[in-house]
Amino acid sequence: MTTTSLEPENTVNKRYVKALRSSVKHIVTFALIIGLWEILGQNGQLNKYILPWPSLIWAQLVDLFFISGIIYYHFYTTLAEATIGFFIGITIGISLAVSAAFSPVFRRYIAPYAVIFSVTPGIAVTPMIIAWFGFGWSSKIALAALVCFFPPFVNTLTALTRTDEDGSDLFRSMGASKRDYFWKLQFPNAIPMIVAGLKLALTGALLGTIVAEFVSATAGVGILMQRFAFKLQIDGSFATLLTMSAMGLMLFTIMEILDYRVVFWKRDSRLLSVSRKRAAKWRRDHGNIPM
Amino acid sequence: MTAETSEVTYVPDRENTWRFVPKHFAIFLVLMSVWELANRMGLADPLMFPRPTRIAEGMLQIFFLKATVWEHLAATFAKAMGGFIIGTAIGMGLAIGAALHTGFRDYLKPYIILVEAMPRIAVGPIFVGWLGFGYGSAIALAALVCFFGPFVNTMTGLMQIDEESEELFRSCRASKKQIFFKLMVPNAMPLISAGLKLAAAGAFAGALVAEFIQADVGLGVMMRRYVITLNMDYAFSTLLSITVFAFVLFRSIEIMNYRIIYWHSEELMQRKSKRRASEFAGIINKQVSGTGGQ
Amino acid sequence: MSDSLQEAGEAVSKPSATNSDVVIEANALTKAFSEEVVALQGASFKINEGDFISLVGPSGCGKSTLLRLVAGLIEKTSGSVKVRENEVTEPRTDIGMMFQKPVLLEWRTAVENVLLPSELTGKITDEDRSRAIQALHLVGLKDFEFHFPRQLSGGMQQRVALARLLQTGADILLLDEPFGALDEFTRERLNIELMNIVDGTATTSLFVTHNIAEAIFLADEVMVMTPRPGKLARIVEVPFERPRSLELQLTPEFNKIESEVRNILGSYV
Ligand SMILES: Nc1ncnc2c1ncn2[C@@H]1O[C@H](COP(=O)(O)OP(=O)(O)OP(=O)(O)O)[C@@H](O)[C@H]1O
Ligand SMILES: [Mg+2]
Repeated sequence: MTTTSLEPENTVNKRYVKALRSSVKHIVTFALIIGLWEILGQNGQLNKYILPWPSLIWAQLVDLFFISGIIYYHFYTTLAEATIGFFIGITIGISLAVSAAFSPVFRRYIAPYAVIFSVTPGIAVTPMIIAWFGFGWSSKIALAALVCFFPPFVNTLTALTRTDEDGSDLFRSMGASKRDYFWKLQFPNAIPMIVAGLKLALTGALLGTIVAEFVSATAGVGILMQRFAFKLQIDGSFATLLTMSAMGLMLFTIMEILDYRVVFWKRDSRLLSVSRKRAAKWRRDHGNIPM
Repeated sequence: MTAETSEVTYVPDRENTWRFVPKHFAIFLVLMSVWELANRMGLADPLMFPRPTRIAEGMLQIFFLKATVWEHLAATFAKAMGGFIIGTAIGMGLAIGAALHTGFRDYLKPYIILVEAMPRIAVGPIFVGWLGFGYGSAIALAALVCFFGPFVNTMTGLMQIDEESEELFRSCRASKKQIFFKLMVPNAMPLISAGLKLAAAGAFAGALVAEFIQADVGLGVMMRRYVITLNMDYAFSTLLSITVFAFVLFRSIEIMNYRIIYWHSEELMQRKSKRRASEFAGIINKQVSGTGGQ
Repeated sequence: MSDSLQEAGEAVSKPSATNSDVVIEANALTKAFSEEVVALQGASFKINEGDFISLVGPSGCGKSTLLRLVAGLIEKTSGSVKVRENEVTEPRTDIGMMFQKPVLLEWRTAVENVLLPSELTGKITDEDRSRAIQALHLVGLKDFEFHFPRQLSGGMQQRVALARLLQTGADILLLDEPFGALDEFTRERLNIELMNIVDGTATTSLFVTHNIAEAIFLADEVMVMTPRPGKLARIVEVPFERPRSLELQLTPEFNKIESEVRNILGSYV
């Protein structure tokens, strides 16, 4: 297994130079936009109650994170609610999907309800959830779970019921048990779609939590944002929005990494290293391969 | 730009679903009766979980007797539609630009990643602050929430033509315009329409959330009012109307899709191919009789 | 193979050799998927131990159906099919299958794919492991043991599938156009490799192909099928000595058999 890079060294260098140059371009454009925005603001061209300029937003961010530090409480509340809701939602979604995949009868009878669920926006239930679960964290978790359970449900069900006839023939011709069939063929085959469902679910969980906080809450980035907006402290709203984006980006990145690591067989860039690892493991466990 | 271009809608096995309608109906009745009984026997709080008969009565009231729902329905529909049109126009416009122009795509990329990760509905309060309680804020939020689906799907769709098809077109000396309209667009249609479906769902959700935050008219407001005054039976009726409305909306979009992307449906394809064949009938017959004579 | 080859009562001529050791025996075997779709009608034949039989016929004539019936993957509509005197009702461990597509598990390395049959019938032993490695070396995949399917070319993937077939230890091989999706050169090389592996062993093979020359080159006998509804038309004996080399295809005797098969196929068009 020879794994030397096929590219001569100077092309590699050229590639770095190119990447560097393009990121410089991005940074310059970004700086230009921010600079123009700031200048317009400083010169009184912008209304700070409508579009606050970068330095005001920055000041708010500094205040939220370092001076008053109030953001942490809200940040962790929202993060915790969304995460718990996510796990509850995906557990329900995936287990329902697995049962439906194995039992055609069950699948048939939940079909109409699944249709109802698929068309009704989950967040439409927000006011009721608040009425049932109160203003505290439990209503946020419930809404997050409700909003996020559907994508993993559909994706898991679709992936598990999509028959791969050749694979099924192969397994049957080798006398595989039902269990082996599930664990060694059906389930691994479904993993890429399940993970895609989980990605959508995580976005949904965060969204559900924040919307529930808008409607009624005592803590969380959603209510913080709402308070700023209603006090017409738009710079504060923007600062909170940036924080939310950071949270979203963080969760999103976690899922991307999970996807990249778990579904390695769809990523050419991962195959090489995984294949090398497997070879090394084999040598450790079973000795060298005979010539 | 690694957004999901997958589409999350549940497609049941239609034939089976219809064949079992009586059984479904029976099960539904049983469920409702259990709920009703539990309610009457005091096992479930009738205030929080109103019994089905009350909800049905509420439906009757808001739709026909008091007929209050129509005004709100129209308002929400208008907001969602406005947002949908603006959002998809922006999304698809950006997507076409990004698909055709590498430089533009490069510059757009970081912002798109940011917008993708951001919980877009969270901008709601800012819009309400800027644009007030009326249509403006709801339309803006709906547009912001829904622009992403059409954007990603259109761009992916336009860019996923294989090299061979493009080379085929270029070998026929096709112009850029011809390549765009005769190859890229038809090729992207299935993904674009999936994106539009996502956008419809997003626009509807966006309009509702804006109404939850603050508004004077709309299904969201209606529902919120009923919940706050603890009229849960009417709140349920409103929720049910939302479901019905959404269902009709999605079905119409699906039917539209189905007609536009006829090459994904056997039946439509056959019908279409017959029609097209008849357009050519004269020419083909002439040729057949011509070769037959040899 | 006796003189009992029949289709719907009409005897099919075939030089006889009243041999023992019949491994696969079909009698008036019929499969109908629905009333209109009769995929296979009244096929009767016997295959002896160690024989290499090619099966040719136009597309859609029921070749895959026949194979899947023998493998016990689908149920027959009527007639009988026996393997080693037992009626086939479910997949058997002494039968191995190979398909047109390699059907590899993408998340497993080559050797892990080859080990699958051992894994499905019990715990993997060290012996299984060394057999798997040997099988991979035998099909020419030395140094690729730990590559994933996506890292292999189409031909290499099909070699992994071949190694997996060998790993099952089955001595009846049902091959459904195993190299049909590959280019001419690769197909020829893999055919020769397959021949070298099965030659001189007691392995019985039933090999479906679209390529008449290939069918004749590999086989002891060529079974020719008619278009839908699929019936067995004739069995053509291929008398050439083994081991065979590619030059065989250029001899007049070979061409004679080739045109014979072509004529049988052509008479049904
Ligand atoms: N599962 C099935 N359900 C219904 N009809 C089937 C099924 N499998 C095969 N058929 C039909 O049976 C007939 C024979 O199919 P089969 O796959 O055996 O043909 P084949 O000879 O292997 O063709 P090819 O050379 O193209 O692989 C075809 O007409 C096909 O449409
Ligand atoms: Mg076939």
